Amino acid sequence: MHIKQEMKGDVLVVALSGKVIGGPELMEVKEVFQKAVDQDKNKVLLNLGKVSWMDSSGLGVIVSGHTTLSRAGGALRILNATKKIHELFIITKLITIFETFTDEKEALDSFGE
Amino acid sequence: MTVYPIELRLPSDVSVLEPLQLIIEAVGKSAEVEENDLSQLSVAVVELAKNAMEHGNKNDPEKIVTISFSIFPNRIRFLIDDEGSWEPEKALGFNPGEGKELLLTRGRGVLIARNLAKWVEFGLTPEGKTRVTLIWPLN
Repeated sequence: MHIKQEMKGDVLVVALSGKVIGGPELMEVKEVFQKAVDQDKNKVLLNLGKVSWMDSSGLGVIVSGHTTLSRAGGALRILNATKKIHELFIITKLITIFETFTDEKEALDSFGE
Repeated sequence: MTVYPIELRLPSDVSVLEPLQLIIEAVGKSAEVEENDLSQLSVAVVELAKNAMEHGNKNDPEKIVTISFSIFPNRIRFLIDDEGSWEPEKALGFNPGEGKELLLTRGRGVLIARNLAKWVEFGLTPEGKTRVTLIWPLN
Protein backbone atom coordinates (compact mmCIF):
# COMPACT_ATOMS: atom_id res chain seq x y z
CA MET A 1 0.00 0.00 0.00
CA HIS A 2 1.20 3.52 -0.80
CA ILE A 3 0.02 6.81 0.62
CA LYS A 4 0.28 10.09 -1.28
CA GLN A 5 -0.70 13.41 0.26
CA GLU A 6 -1.32 16.71 -1.46
CA MET A 7 -2.94 19.99 -0.38
CA LYS A 8 -5.57 21.32 -2.78
CA GLY A 9 -6.73 24.64 -1.42
CA ASP A 10 -7.54 23.97 2.22
CA VAL A 11 -8.31 20.29 1.62
CA LEU A 12 -5.76 17.57 2.23
CA VAL A 13 -6.14 14.94 -0.48
CA VAL A 14 -4.88 11.56 0.66
CA ALA A 15 -4.56 8.96 -2.08
CA LEU A 16 -4.14 5.32 -1.19
CA SER A 17 -3.02 2.74 -3.73
CA GLY A 18 -2.45 -0.99 -3.76
CA LYS A 19 -3.85 -3.39 -1.19
CA VAL A 20 -5.33 -2.10 2.05
CA ILE A 21 -5.04 -5.20 4.20
CA GLY A 22 -4.73 -5.68 7.97
CA GLY A 23 -1.31 -5.02 9.49
CA PRO A 24 1.08 -2.30 10.65
CA GLU A 25 0.74 -0.38 7.38
CA LEU A 26 -2.75 0.62 8.40
CA MET A 27 -1.35 2.50 11.39
CA GLU A 28 0.33 4.82 8.89
CA VAL A 29 -3.06 5.77 7.48
CA LYS A 30 -4.39 6.38 10.97
CA GLU A 31 -1.41 8.61 11.68
CA VAL A 32 -2.05 10.62 8.52
CA PHE A 33 -5.50 11.54 9.87
CA GLN A 34 -4.15 12.37 13.31
CA LYS A 35 -1.33 14.53 11.88
CA ALA A 36 -3.84 16.31 9.68
CA VAL A 37 -5.81 17.30 12.80
CA ASP A 38 -2.62 18.28 14.64
CA GLN A 39 -1.74 20.59 11.74
CA ASP A 40 -5.24 22.06 11.53
CA LYS A 41 -5.95 20.38 8.22
CA ASN A 42 -9.37 19.12 9.19
CA LYS A 43 -10.80 18.67 5.72
CA VAL A 44 -9.58 15.45 4.17
CA LEU A 45 -10.55 13.86 0.88
CA LEU A 46 -9.58 10.21 0.72
CA ASN A 47 -9.00 8.98 -2.83
CA LEU A 48 -9.52 5.21 -3.07
CA GLY A 49 -9.39 5.05 -6.87
CA LYS A 50 -6.17 3.07 -6.97
CA VAL A 51 -6.94 0.68 -4.14
CA SER A 52 -6.98 -2.80 -5.63
CA TRP A 53 -8.16 -4.71 -2.56
CA MET A 54 -9.60 -3.72 0.82
CA ASP A 55 -11.21 -5.51 3.75
CA SER A 56 -12.82 -4.56 7.06
CA SER A 57 -9.49 -3.43 8.52
CA GLY A 58 -9.33 -0.72 5.89
CA LEU A 59 -12.90 0.31 6.65
CA GLY A 60 -12.03 0.45 10.35
CA VAL A 61 -9.23 2.93 9.73
CA ILE A 62 -11.47 5.07 7.54
CA VAL A 63 -14.11 5.14 10.30
CA SER A 64 -11.40 6.06 12.79
CA GLY A 65 -10.33 8.92 10.51
CA HIS A 66 -13.93 10.10 10.23
CA THR A 67 -14.24 10.20 14.01
CA THR A 68 -10.89 11.97 14.50
CA LEU A 69 -11.64 14.64 11.90
CA SER A 70 -15.28 15.15 12.91
CA ARG A 71 -14.32 15.69 16.54
CA ALA A 72 -11.92 18.38 15.38
CA GLY A 73 -14.72 20.07 13.46
CA GLY A 74 -13.60 18.75 10.08
CA ALA A 75 -14.72 16.05 7.72
CA LEU A 76 -13.51 13.03 5.79
CA ARG A 77 -14.99 12.42 2.37
CA ILE A 78 -14.41 9.64 -0.11
CA LEU A 79 -13.37 9.96 -3.73
CA ASN A 80 -13.41 7.34 -6.48
CA ALA A 81 -14.23 4.24 -4.43
CA THR A 82 -14.17 1.33 -6.86
CA LYS A 83 -17.34 -0.68 -7.37
CA LYS A 84 -16.10 -3.40 -5.00
CA ILE A 85 -15.11 -0.98 -2.26
CA HIS A 86 -18.39 0.87 -2.68
CA GLU A 87 -20.12 -2.47 -2.12
CA LEU A 88 -18.30 -2.82 1.23
CA PHE A 89 -19.58 0.62 2.23
CA ILE A 90 -23.11 -0.50 1.37
CA ILE A 91 -22.88 -3.88 3.15
CA THR A 92 -21.65 -2.22 6.34
CA LYS A 93 -24.04 0.74 5.99
CA LEU A 94 -21.08 3.10 6.19
CA ILE A 95 -22.50 4.61 3.03
CA THR A 96 -24.97 6.36 5.36
CA ILE A 97 -22.24 8.36 7.10
CA PHE A 98 -19.76 9.05 4.32
CA GLU A 99 -20.20 11.43 1.44
CA THR A 100 -18.73 9.80 -1.65
CA PHE A 101 -17.76 11.42 -4.93
CA THR A 102 -16.53 10.39 -8.33
CA ASP A 103 -15.44 13.87 -9.39
CA GLU A 104 -12.54 15.49 -7.56
CA LYS A 105 -13.60 19.09 -8.19
CA GLU A 106 -17.09 18.39 -6.95
CA ALA A 107 -15.63 16.67 -3.89
CA LEU A 108 -13.29 19.58 -3.14
CA ASP A 109 -16.08 22.12 -3.62
CA SER A 110 -18.31 20.19 -1.21
CA PHE A 111 -16.06 21.12 1.71
CA GLY A 112 -16.89 24.79 1.14
CA GLU A 113 -20.64 24.28 1.29
CA MET B 1 -15.25 -38.94 -7.83
CA THR B 2 -13.43 -38.42 -4.56
CA VAL B 3 -12.60 -34.81 -3.75
CA TYR B 4 -9.52 -34.50 -1.61
CA PRO B 5 -9.24 -31.39 0.54
CA ILE B 6 -6.10 -29.27 0.40
CA GLU B 7 -4.98 -27.82 3.69
CA LEU B 8 -3.18 -24.58 4.59
CA ARG B 9 -1.74 -24.09 8.06
CA LEU B 10 -1.20 -20.47 9.03
CA PRO B 11 0.35 -18.90 12.12
CA SER B 12 -1.96 -16.36 13.75
CA ASP B 13 -0.12 -13.32 12.46
CA VAL B 14 -1.38 -10.61 10.14
CA SER B 15 1.76 -10.90 7.98
CA VAL B 16 0.26 -14.02 6.38
CA LEU B 17 -2.91 -12.28 5.24
CA GLU B 18 -1.53 -10.95 1.98
CA PRO B 19 -0.07 -14.31 0.88
CA LEU B 20 -3.37 -15.88 1.93
CA GLN B 21 -5.30 -13.42 -0.23
CA LEU B 22 -3.17 -14.38 -3.24
CA ILE B 23 -3.53 -18.10 -2.56
CA ILE B 24 -7.32 -17.89 -2.24
CA GLU B 25 -7.59 -15.99 -5.51
CA ALA B 26 -5.42 -18.65 -7.16
CA VAL B 27 -7.72 -21.34 -5.74
CA GLY B 28 -10.72 -19.46 -7.09
CA LYS B 29 -9.09 -19.10 -10.49
CA SER B 30 -8.32 -22.81 -10.68
CA ALA B 31 -11.97 -23.53 -9.88
CA GLU B 32 -13.01 -21.10 -12.62
CA VAL B 33 -14.55 -18.51 -10.33
CA GLU B 34 -15.27 -15.49 -12.51
CA GLU B 35 -12.38 -13.04 -12.63
CA ASN B 36 -14.63 -10.30 -11.32
CA ASP B 37 -15.58 -12.33 -8.22
CA LEU B 38 -12.08 -13.40 -7.16
CA SER B 39 -11.48 -10.46 -4.85
CA GLN B 40 -14.86 -10.93 -3.13
CA LEU B 41 -13.95 -14.55 -2.50
CA SER B 42 -10.56 -13.59 -1.06
CA VAL B 43 -12.05 -10.82 1.09
CA ALA B 44 -14.59 -13.27 2.55
CA VAL B 45 -11.99 -15.93 3.39
CA VAL B 46 -9.43 -13.43 4.72
CA GLU B 47 -12.09 -11.89 7.00
CA LEU B 48 -12.89 -15.29 8.48
CA ALA B 49 -9.20 -16.16 8.85
CA LYS B 50 -8.63 -12.89 10.73
CA ASN B 51 -11.52 -13.70 13.07
CA ALA B 52 -10.07 -17.14 13.72
CA MET B 53 -6.68 -15.60 14.53
CA GLU B 54 -8.15 -12.98 16.81
CA HIS B 55 -11.06 -14.66 18.58
CA GLY B 56 -9.93 -18.28 18.46
CA ASN B 57 -6.17 -17.95 18.78
CA LYS B 58 -5.89 -14.54 20.52
CA ASN B 59 -3.37 -13.50 17.86
CA ASP B 60 -0.81 -15.93 19.28
CA PRO B 61 1.50 -16.71 16.32
CA GLU B 62 2.23 -20.11 17.85
CA LYS B 63 -1.41 -21.03 17.36
CA ILE B 64 -2.49 -22.24 13.98
CA VAL B 65 -5.45 -21.41 11.76
CA THR B 66 -6.14 -24.25 9.39
CA ILE B 67 -7.92 -23.54 6.14
CA SER B 68 -8.86 -26.53 4.07
CA PHE B 69 -10.61 -26.26 0.77
CA SER B 70 -12.26 -28.76 -1.52
CA ILE B 71 -13.26 -28.01 -5.07
CA PHE B 72 -16.45 -29.82 -6.05
CA PRO B 73 -18.02 -29.57 -9.52
CA ASN B 74 -20.53 -26.98 -8.34
CA ARG B 75 -18.89 -25.33 -5.34
CA ILE B 76 -15.75 -24.67 -3.35
CA ARG B 77 -15.98 -25.52 0.33
CA PHE B 78 -13.64 -23.80 2.76
CA LEU B 79 -13.30 -24.99 6.37
CA ILE B 80 -11.57 -22.48 8.65
CA ASP B 81 -10.54 -23.95 11.99
CA ASP B 82 -8.80 -22.30 14.92
CA GLU B 83 -7.55 -23.60 18.24
CA GLY B 84 -10.21 -21.93 20.37
CA SER B 85 -13.80 -22.73 21.12
CA TRP B 86 -15.30 -19.28 21.02
CA GLU B 87 -18.96 -18.63 20.49
CA PRO B 88 -19.46 -16.27 17.59
CA GLU B 89 -22.64 -14.78 19.01
CA LYS B 90 -20.79 -13.75 22.17
CA ALA B 91 -17.57 -12.66 20.53
CA LEU B 92 -19.38 -10.83 17.77
CA GLY B 93 -22.47 -9.91 19.73
CA PHE B 94 -23.18 -6.66 17.98
CA ASN B 95 -24.09 -5.53 14.53
CA PRO B 96 -21.77 -2.72 13.50
CA GLY B 97 -24.25 -1.76 10.85
CA GLU B 98 -26.69 -0.41 13.40
CA GLY B 99 -27.02 2.73 15.55
CA LYS B 100 -24.00 4.18 17.29
CA GLU B 101 -22.14 0.92 16.65
CA LEU B 102 -21.91 2.07 13.06
CA LEU B 103 -18.90 4.11 14.13
CA LEU B 104 -17.00 1.28 15.77
CA THR B 105 -13.65 0.71 14.11
CA ARG B 106 -13.90 -3.08 14.15
CA GLY B 107 -16.31 -6.02 14.04
CA ARG B 108 -17.43 -5.89 10.41
CA GLY B 109 -15.60 -8.99 9.19
CA VAL B 110 -18.35 -11.57 9.58
CA LEU B 111 -20.96 -9.17 8.23
CA ILE B 112 -18.85 -8.68 5.10
CA ALA B 113 -18.03 -12.39 4.70
CA ARG B 114 -21.71 -13.32 5.07
CA ASN B 115 -22.72 -10.80 2.45
CA LEU B 116 -20.04 -11.67 -0.09
CA ALA B 117 -20.27 -15.45 0.24
CA LYS B 118 -23.46 -17.36 -0.32
CA TRP B 119 -23.12 -19.46 2.81
CA VAL B 120 -21.11 -18.90 5.98
CA GLU B 121 -21.85 -21.09 8.96
CA PHE B 122 -20.25 -21.30 12.40
CA GLY B 123 -19.95 -24.65 14.12
CA LEU B 124 -17.55 -26.92 15.92
CA THR B 125 -15.00 -29.50 14.84
CA PRO B 126 -15.35 -33.04 16.25
CA GLU B 127 -12.76 -31.92 18.85
CA GLY B 128 -14.96 -29.01 19.93
CA LYS B 129 -12.95 -26.23 18.30
CA THR B 130 -14.55 -23.44 16.32
CA ARG B 131 -15.02 -24.16 12.64
CA VAL B 132 -16.39 -21.83 10.01
CA THR B 133 -17.72 -23.30 6.78
CA LEU B 134 -17.85 -21.10 3.71
CA ILE B 135 -19.45 -22.36 0.52
CA TRP B 136 -18.77 -20.59 -2.73
CA PRO B 137 -21.04 -21.81 -5.53
CA LEU B 138 -19.58 -22.31 -8.99
CA ASN B 139 -21.53 -21.62 -12.16
